[in-house]
Amino acid sequence: MGREVSESCIDSLLTEMVASYCNQFYSNTPELAARRIEAIGYQVGHQLSERYTMDRPRFTDHLEAIKFICKDFWSELFKKQIDNLKTNHRGTFVLQDNKFRWLSRISGDPSVDNGTQDPESKAAQAMSMYLYFPCGIIRGALSNLGIPCAVSADISSLPACEYNWILRPCCFSIKYAF
Amino acid sequence: MIVCVAVVGHQNNPLYIQSFTEADDALKLHHIVHCSLDVVDERVNNPKKSGLTLNETFLGLLYPTENYKVYGYLTNTKVKFILVTTDLDVRDADVRNFFRRFHAAYVDAVSNPFHVPGKRITSRTFAERVSNIVKSFGLSSAG
Repeated sequence: MGREVSESCIDSLLTEMVASYCNQFYSNTPELAARRIEAIGYQVGHQLSERYTMDRPRFTDHLEAIKFICKDFWSELFKKQIDNLKTNHRGTFVLQDNKFRWLSRISGDPSVDNGTQDPESKAAQAMSMYLYFPCGIIRGALSNLGIPCAVSADISSLPACEYNWILRPCCFSIKYAF
Repeated sequence: MIVCVAVVGHQNNPLYIQSFTEADDALKLHHIVHCSLDVVDERVNNPKKSGLTLNETFLGLLYPTENYKVYGYLTNTKVKFILVTTDLDVRDADVRNFFRRFHAAYVDAVSNPFHVPGKRITSRTFAERVSNIVKSFGLSSAG
């Protein structure tokens, strides 16, 4: 009986959220904007994890909770699973999504370039603002499952596809106290 | 007849306690719910002794007192639901069904963006849904 929302609404909402926090509310302090966006994601992840763990048996250890995030949680949010999960067995997991849905419609614009900063890093900085929200979602979900952690994300750069952001894998790294 | 339902957070903080009796023994019911939290912890930490599978959400009958039976349910997010009833012959399936519907109502209440996690649930819609579930529990086990 769930109601549905069109995906373009979600895309617009996320774009506008990043734009308002970066350009209006905290225009001089991008770190604060990032923290606020991540805090919004934390609450959303907290509530979503309640809903998506409803009909499941309880998790026995941390690995099962991370696998739940990679498979069921990611499929509910992004209609696909995480493509690659790596761990160093000492409290760090790296989740790799090769085609992150919320970035799939963002284009890197090579024309906006005033020459003082490398366009690659400017674009990377702009892109990273869009990743704070999903980081917050993951952190909120894991905290609700009993695993306090720190989550960061980055988009790896491949020299071959410079401005083609769609093809770059997006890596979320989760660090928790081992 | 169900006399009391309670939702307790993962730090054993009460999120919602509602009693359904006319009598003025709310304090006694709070005390019963509080005592049952220890039993929940014991069941979760010693699965072999209680005969449960390790990862089931429904914990079953926690302990019977002189007039009441207390049932427990533990979600994945370490939130505990406690049900206190005076019925003598309660079917397991009925209680599981009750907890399933209660869990759905709880998830909807917590998804409210104005609800602060860790604080008490103040939603009237949640209170109404819970009283509907409690009423229909009585009917289904009587019929």
